[in-house]
Amino acid sequence: MSYDEHDDETFRERIDANPRPALIWIVGLIVLLAVELGRIVDGIIALGGAIRFALSGIAAGPSWIGDNVAGTLGSAVGTGAMILTALLLLAIAGSLVKTIFVPGSPLKRLGYDIDQTKQTIDLLDRLFLTAILAVIALLAITSPFSGVLESGINGLTRGLESVSSLPTITGRETISNEGHRTPGGGWEGTFLGLSPAWAWALRVLVVYAYAFVALAWLWKGYTIFREHYREADWTPRDDSINRFRNHYWGIFGLIIVFMFVVMAIWAPALGPVDAEHNLYSPYEHEFEYLDDDTVVSTTHGTANLQSQSQGGESTIGLMSYDDFDRWAPFGTNQDGKDLFTFLVFGARTSLVIGVTAIGLATAIALAMSLITAYYKGLVDTLTIITSDTIISIPAFLLVLLLSVIFQQANHPIADVYNGGLLLALIFAGIYWPGLWRSIRGPSLQVAEQEWVDAAKSYGQTPAMTMRKHMAPYIATYIMIYASLLLGGVIIATAALSFLGLGINPPTPEWGRMVSDGRSYVSTTSWHIATIPGIMIVFVVTGFNALGDGIRDAMDPESDTGTSDAGAAASGGGG
Amino acid sequence: MSRWHYFFKRVLLSIPVLFLVMTLIFVILRLGPLDPVASLLGPEASGAQAEQIRESLGLNEPLWQQYLDFMWGLITLDLGQSWAVYSGRNVIDLVYIFAPRTIWLGFWAVLLPLFIGIPLGFYAGLNPNSWGDYVASFGGIVWLAMPNFWLAIMVLAVLRQTQGGGFLGFDWYTFGPEVNSLIGTPPLDFAGATDWTTLWLLSVPTGGFYFDFGTLAVAIKVILPAAIVLGSASMATELRIGRTAILETKNSNYVETAKAKGLSGRVIVWKHVFRNALIPLVPIITNEALLLLGGSVIVEVIFGINGLGRLFFLAAVQGDLPLAGSLIFIFTLITISLNIIQDLLYTLLDPRVGYD
Repeated sequence: MSYDEHDDETFRERIDANPRPALIWIVGLIVLLAVELGRIVDGIIALGGAIRFALSGIAAGPSWIGDNVAGTLGSAVGTGAMILTALLLLAIAGSLVKTIFVPGSPLKRLGYDIDQTKQTIDLLDRLFLTAILAVIALLAITSPFSGVLESGINGLTRGLESVSSLPTITGRETISNEGHRTPGGGWEGTFLGLSPAWAWALRVLVVYAYAFVALAWLWKGYTIFREHYREADWTPRDDSINRFRNHYWGIFGLIIVFMFVVMAIWAPALGPVDAEHNLYSPYEHEFEYLDDDTVVSTTHGTANLQSQSQGGESTIGLMSYDDFDRWAPFGTNQDGKDLFTFLVFGARTSLVIGVTAIGLATAIALAMSLITAYYKGLVDTLTIITSDTIISIPAFLLVLLLSVIFQQANHPIADVYNGGLLLALIFAGIYWPGLWRSIRGPSLQVAEQEWVDAAKSYGQTPAMTMRKHMAPYIATYIMIYASLLLGGVIIATAALSFLGLGINPPTPEWGRMVSDGRSYVSTTSWHIATIPGIMIVFVVTGFNALGDGIRDAMDPESDTGTSDAGAAASGGGG
Repeated sequence: MSRWHYFFKRVLLSIPVLFLVMTLIFVILRLGPLDPVASLLGPEASGAQAEQIRESLGLNEPLWQQYLDFMWGLITLDLGQSWAVYSGRNVIDLVYIFAPRTIWLGFWAVLLPLFIGIPLGFYAGLNPNSWGDYVASFGGIVWLAMPNFWLAIMVLAVLRQTQGGGFLGFDWYTFGPEVNSLIGTPPLDFAGATDWTTLWLLSVPTGGFYFDFGTLAVAIKVILPAAIVLGSASMATELRIGRTAILETKNSNYVETAKAKGLSGRVIVWKHVFRNALIPLVPIITNEALLLLGGSVIVEVIFGINGLGRLFFLAAVQGDLPLAGSLIFIFTLITISLNIIQDLLYTLLDPRVGYD
């Protein structure tokens, strides 16, 4: 390829030299984003809310610790503890900001020329950034600045909200399936006058078509980058990707996982009825239906009472309309609520909990494995003892006990997401030792490599060595186990909810569906408990297959499966 | 470092681990968000009664004193009394009553998969890429992903359908020994002795031994569905490992040599392939036993077996902190001892294991 001679070109210059493929791809991306702009902005608002919530939770930490200490040791010590915790948090934040957002040394860039060792400069930089953050935090707390900040955030949110109300291609309004029969025999209010069943099927088709096109376009973007803009003709990762492309079992897993994720993300669009109307507040929302040649309106709650599936003749089973001409692809549950809507929102619950828990656990395990592999010795032994402690307590029992204790004590954290956040935190705390154990071998091996020695002898700081020269290798390993463990978290969450302990109503959860439908399994309403179980089997198999695929793609030697057979998520956990 | 050195290091490491587990349980129960008095009397507990309970539980003592008492209690297995589930009973007595049922369930849950999973896996490994292999392997994968709680409900539903001769053509209720209910605690009084004498601290049976085959049959029949569900994940894992073990062994040099010697296929399979393929299965089986501890909660709750798992569930839901904490401690003790046994087996069985 032509650009091989110009190895020093930046990415930007390579694009300038041959802009056509990049431009085509970006135009496609803009089109794809534009048709779903409303939903994307919705997601950004939700994400912003979650970040704000997390930040306020962390910000409340110092005063919480201060109060607790003050309760036992007196208020002066309490205030001291509060200030200490606040400083500690600020220092952590300062270090994070430095490693993530500020390349190089900010002090040097400001013109200070310090004649010190690298470590000292690094420390001074961190202190400098911590001080800046402290000033910002103080400003944010004290009025009038906090008022300005608050109104700024609110204005931004309002602006985004107006964008988020734009129609999207997969929106409920675009392809509506909520209408009523007309006396003449047709349908009114639905998309193109189709029957609600067909309109719903069309919407589901559009959602999945959109999602798969978007996925294909991202893949296309990667191949364009690989073909036209990447400096190297070949990298080891290409081989892994090629191996994965021929790994049909892994591809199967990827597709199942992708469909599950799409189900969770597009949950509001996939349900045949609006969740708010049908599940959460059914008595506050009305709809119209045809009753003896007259169109009358009733609330969802009233209608649900007559669409209950509790065995017998009146069951609303799979692929059927209820007496109010509402389409129920998976029937209704024992309360007459739409099972499919419940199911897709349950997918969202499972995914949010699974990703939060595994994300946190992976972050802890990765950080610990870098530190223990780099320093070894006492740190390693202490981590072994800690992880052995947590591993040797049967995980499911510990999760159960902890969630009961927090819920019975009415701890504020147990209310967030109806117990979802609590569960995710418990899972993260209990599963990181297992993850750390699984990658301890590979990370010790990486730490022994010559390039790590070389980096050390160059005077690279430990943090930099770990981040640049060790983390990329360990991160790929941890992905395998994270994928396998995610299935385990989904099963454990469902099992806890089945026992009535995990996610409380009204947040939909698959395990609770099984529990609700348990007494109707041998009646005509068998679908309530059966379908969520089949979904769990599919999703967990998908995650297991994906994990297998990633493992074989990264390391073709290890496909014997003997070493980590215990890692696959299994129903044994619940 | 020799193998025994490594083994003793592991055993030594388990002491601080046990110590930390006990501390962790103390932290969860005493320093956790749930006030023990509140869980006994309800969240609005106050007044003289609350103060009295606080005093009798020793909650007014300094924290380090509470900690020492708690640890000493656990070490001497003086686990205190249940608050709510079996109010006033000693925890250790409850464990003696409930444990045999869990052991019975666990025994069958380990045994059944062994006799189903391993033969299936070996069959699949000996006939790779045949339809039988595909069916067995795919079945194992799906079986592995099935949540126990759902599988239990489905098994119960199917067995209920057989009452009076359902679509399966047999009636599970009258099949073999007759039972009236699918769920419930298995009768474990099929064997025992009537005369006991005390020898130092132990009770020793001296006579009047009896054994009742009818009761034994009922006990087995009642436990079978629960054991199959509880062992489902192990069965799938053993199938998978058994298959790969056979595949690996089959392609190894010594099997090639045996072939070259002109040994018959049967001798090769029985003498050379099977025996070596069994080695990697040993740790799997001990690992499965650990998984069963957690799984027993769900299975015992659904099948209505009054074992330790169900006892733990009731204790946790009713806020019976001493009972729940003690059960967790006992489960952890079992885990740690099983881990040591596994290491011992490793050390004895596989001469190749060398750690540094």
